Amino acid sequence: MPNIDRRDFIKLVGAGGVGVGAGVVLRESIKHPREHLIPHVLAPEDYSSGVATWYNSVCSMCSAGCGISVRTREGRAKKIEGNPSHAVNQGRLCALGQAGLQVLYNPDRLTGPLLQSADRGADGFTQITWEDGLTRVASQLDVLRAAGRGNRIALLTRGVGGHLAELLESFAEGVGTNRLFHYDYAHPHALYAANERFFGEQQLPYYDLSNTRHLLSFGADYLAGWLSPVHHSLGFANSRHGGDNRGYFVQIEPRMSPSGAAADEWVPAKPGTEGILALGLAHHIVASGHYDGDDIDEWKGVLSAYTLEKVAEETDVSESVLQRLAESFANASPSLAIGGDGAANNSNGVDTLVAINALNYLAGNVGTAGGVVFNPNPAGATSHDHQANYRTLAQLAASARNGDIDVLILNDANPVFTMPLASEFKAALARIPFIVSLSSFIDETSALANVVLPSHTYLESWGDAFPEHGMGFSIGAVSQPVIAPLYDTKATGDIVLDLARRTGNPMPWDSLEDCIKDGWNKIYQRNASDTQTDSFESFWRALLKAGVWGEKNHRSNDSFRPNASAIANIGVDVPVFSGDAEVYPFVLQPFLSTMHDGRAANLPWMQELPDVMTSVVYGSWVEMNPKTAENLGLAEGDLVDVESTEGSVRAPILVYPAIRPDVIAMPIGQGHSNYGRYASNRGTNPLEILSPLVDESSGNLASNATRVKVVATGKHIEIVKTSGKSRDLGRDIVQTTGGSDHTAQTNSIPIMVIPT
Amino acid sequence: MNVSIQPALKSLQTAALIVVVAVVGIFIGYFIDFLVTDSPEVSAPEQPIAFSHKIHAGDNDIPCQYCHTEARRSPSAGVPSVNKCMGCHNEVATESPLIRQVSEYWENKEPIPWVKVHDLPDFVHFTHKRHVQAGIACQTCHGPVETMDKIAVHSRNNEGPTLLASSTGEIMNSETSDVGATQNDHWEMGLCLNCHKQHDVVDGKAVRVDEGGFDNGLDCWTCHK
Repeated sequence: MPNIDRRDFIKLVGAGGVGVGAGVVLRESIKHPREHLIPHVLAPEDYSSGVATWYNSVCSMCSAGCGISVRTREGRAKKIEGNPSHAVNQGRLCALGQAGLQVLYNPDRLTGPLLQSADRGADGFTQITWEDGLTRVASQLDVLRAAGRGNRIALLTRGVGGHLAELLESFAEGVGTNRLFHYDYAHPHALYAANERFFGEQQLPYYDLSNTRHLLSFGADYLAGWLSPVHHSLGFANSRHGGDNRGYFVQIEPRMSPSGAAADEWVPAKPGTEGILALGLAHHIVASGHYDGDDIDEWKGVLSAYTLEKVAEETDVSESVLQRLAESFANASPSLAIGGDGAANNSNGVDTLVAINALNYLAGNVGTAGGVVFNPNPAGATSHDHQANYRTLAQLAASARNGDIDVLILNDANPVFTMPLASEFKAALARIPFIVSLSSFIDETSALANVVLPSHTYLESWGDAFPEHGMGFSIGAVSQPVIAPLYDTKATGDIVLDLARRTGNPMPWDSLEDCIKDGWNKIYQRNASDTQTDSFESFWRALLKAGVWGEKNHRSNDSFRPNASAIANIGVDVPVFSGDAEVYPFVLQPFLSTMHDGRAANLPWMQELPDVMTSVVYGSWVEMNPKTAENLGLAEGDLVDVESTEGSVRAPILVYPAIRPDVIAMPIGQGHSNYGRYASNRGTNPLEILSPLVDESSGNLASNATRVKVVATGKHIEIVKTSGKSRDLGRDIVQTTGGSDHTAQTNSIPIMVIPT
Repeated sequence: MNVSIQPALKSLQTAALIVVVAVVGIFIGYFIDFLVTDSPEVSAPEQPIAFSHKIHAGDNDIPCQYCHTEARRSPSAGVPSVNKCMGCHNEVATESPLIRQVSEYWENKEPIPWVKVHDLPDFVHFTHKRHVQAGIACQTCHGPVETMDKIAVHSRNNEGPTLLASSTGEIMNSETSDVGATQNDHWEMGLCLNCHKQHDVVDGKAVRVDEGGFDNGLDCWTCHK
C-alpha cells in the first residue's frame, strides 16, 4: 500500500466525485425522458387520436382530375393515395399526385397577405391583414367598375373547372370584364381545335386505350403527361396483358418518351411530319381497299398526294414500315390513333391531329369500344371554355403594353415562366398599374404583384372537377378540405366572393362551400331518380364519402360521318421552323418533365425523382444522339449553350441514343428564378428561347418548331443521375426475353385453375 | 550508476488508483440515480392538478372508458379533453379548489399538461384497441387504478388482487393474479410475454390456456414493428 499524501487524497476524492457525477449523467442520458400528455381543450368530432381518418377528394396537381383518398391523423394529412372508386384513376395515383403533400407543407408557402412596399419584382413584401389587403384590391376594382371601365380588369387563373370556374365567370361578369383567362401551358388547344373541325365536337372524346388492340400514338406521351396519364396507364396495362389478343403499341415521335419506351415499336419520324405520315397510312388504307364507305371517292381525292413513296421521303420512315403499319392498323379491330404533345405543338399541329382523326374514321374506330368514344356533355364546367392559348396571352400582353389593363388578378398561373422570352410577357405585366395575386407561392409571376392574397392549397379548400377527357360518360367529383387551413389563407372562391361583396356586386352565396353545394344540388335535382337517395343532404353525404359521382348518360356513338368540307380540308403542310437550318441545325423538343410545366419544381420529392428515361435528378440536360455528340466532339456532362434566334440557355449534354440525330430535347420545369428554395436557381428553362411561332389554326404555341445550334463552352459538370450506364454492356444485368419466347413459355406452363 | 524506478512506480500506482476510484464512482452514481429517480415520488409524479382516480373510478364507479374514450378504438387510450372534464364539473363540486384549477384551464382555453406515467419506449408498438376489445381489463397492466389517489406505475412485486376479464367480457376478480406476474421489474417485456404465453384468442377475446398461447403473439414483430 503506497503512502497516500495529502495531494493524492484530494486527487482521489476528486476522481470519485467526478465518477459519481458521470454515473448519474450516464443513466439520465440513456433513460427515457419524461413525457407529457397534452389533451385537447375541445375534442374534435371527426377523428380519434391514433386512428387514421381518410377523406376522398380530387387531385389538382394537373388537369386530369383523378380522385384521391387522403389519410389524415390528428388533423394532419399524412399520405395521398388514389380513390379506388374513381373511374379515372381507379385507386392509382402518379408521383405528382403523391407529392401534393409537399404543396401543403411546403416551407415556402405564403402564410398571410403581403403588400409590396418596394418596387414591384423586388423582395420587399411586408405582412398586412386580410382586411387591409381586400380593401386595397376592392377599391381598385370598385373605381373601375363604377366608371363602367370594368374591362380594364383582367383575370388570369390556372385552369380550374367545376363550380369555381363558374364563380370566376360570374365575378368577371359582375365587375364588367370579359378578360377572364385560364392558363395551363400543357392545355391541348390543338386537340380541341382538331376535334371541332373533324368531329364537330366542342369537347374531347374518350380515347379507349384499354380495349384497343392496336395503338398508333403520334407523339402523345400518354403514360407520362398527355391528358390523363394515370388512366392511360391503366388502359395500357389492360390492353397489354390481353393474352392472345394483346394490344400492339406503336409510338411515332422523334425523341423517345416513356410511352415510346413502353411501346412495341418506336418510329422516329422527322419532327412535324407526323400528320403527313398519318395521311400516308390513310392513303394506303383507302387505296388498298380497307375502306369501303360511300364517300370513298372524296377520300381518294384528298389523299391522292400522300403516296407512300412521297410520305416516306418527307417523314424519313421507309415505305415498307409505312405499309406494314397501315396494314396492321387497318386489320386490327378495334384500333386507335392518338396524337398530342410533340406532334401537336407544331405549325401544322391542328392539321396533324385532324389527319389522325381521319385515320381513326377510315379504320372504323370512331364510336367503337377500343377506339374514339364521344362524351356526353360534362355535368359541370371545365376550364377549356376560357383557356388562353399563346395568341390570346400575346394579345393580353399587347393590351397591357397599350395601357388598356389597369388591374390584373392572378390565381396560381405562372405565364412569366412558361411564356417564351420573345413574348416579352414580363415587360408587358410591368405596364399594368396594379397586380394582385391569389397564389400560394411567390413564383415568377406573383413576384410582380402589388398585393398577394394567398389562397388555400387544394387540400384545404372546397372544389369540384369534371374531367375534360371524360370516360364516355360524365363524371364529377367533389374536392373537400381534408385538414383545417394551416395558415392565414383563404380559399380562392371565398376571396372572390368577398371582393364581389366589397364591390357592391354580391353573389348569391356566402362561401365557396355554399356555391359548390348549390351547384351539386342542381345536379341532384336533375338526376334525383338515379341517385337512390331521398334528399339532397343524404346525396351530398354519400357524394363526399364516395368522392365521385357518375351520370348514366352514355351517347350512342355509331352514326358519325364527317361532312364533305371536313374531308376536303384535310391536308398537312410541311412544318415551318424558325431559324435557318444552315445556322441552326437542330430542332429543339422541350418535353414535360416530372416537374410537369414547372409547377412541381418546388417539391423536393419531384426534384429527387429520377427522370423516367435518363434517371437524371435535380437539374436540366440536353438530350443528344450519340452520333451527333461524336460529330461535335461532345460527351456527357459537357456544358453547352443551346442558341436559338431568340436567345440561349446553358445545360450539360446527355448522350441519349433514342433521339433523331437532327433533334435535341430538353426537359421543361427547371430554371426558376423564383418559386422557393427548392426550385430557384436550379437548371435552366428551355421555354425561354422558343421562337413565338404559332399554329394559325389554334393559336397554340408551336413549341417544337424552334431550330437551335449547340455551342460548346469547354466547361464540364457531372450530371447527377441514379444509373451509371444506360446500357447493359454485355453484363447480363437485365435479362430479357423476346415476345415470342414469352408466348411459347406461357403456353407450355399449365395454368392453375382455382376450383369454384 | 544507480537509478531508482521507485518515483515513477509511485506515480503510476496513484494514477491507477484514481482510475479505479473514478470507475467505481460511475457505478455508484448510476446506482444512486436508479434509487433516486425510481423512487415512488418519481414513478408517481406530481400532476399539474391533483386528480384522483380513486374518487372518480373507485368511489363514484365511473367506467374507465367514460373518459378514456379512445381506448377501444385507437392505439392510444386518449386523455379526456378539458371540455370533457367540464362536462360534469360545470355542475359537480364547482367550488372545490381543484375544480377551480380545471375551470381556469377551460376559461383560458388551455390544455392541462398531464405528466405521462405509463410510458412504453418508442420501439414498442402497443395498441389499446386490440387489448380492450379482447376483454383485457385495464387494471391488468395499469394496476388497481381505482384505488390510487395519485396515479403510479403499478409494481408486481407487492402483488394485490388483479382483475381479469373473463372470456364473456365480464370483469371478474382473479385472486391468483397470474396475469403478467413476474419477478422482474414492471413495465418491461416480461409483462407482455407472460400474458401472451398464457392466453389464446377465441372469438376475439383473450382466454387463459395452460400452455401454448396464441401463435403470432410471441413473434418479435408483434410488438417491435
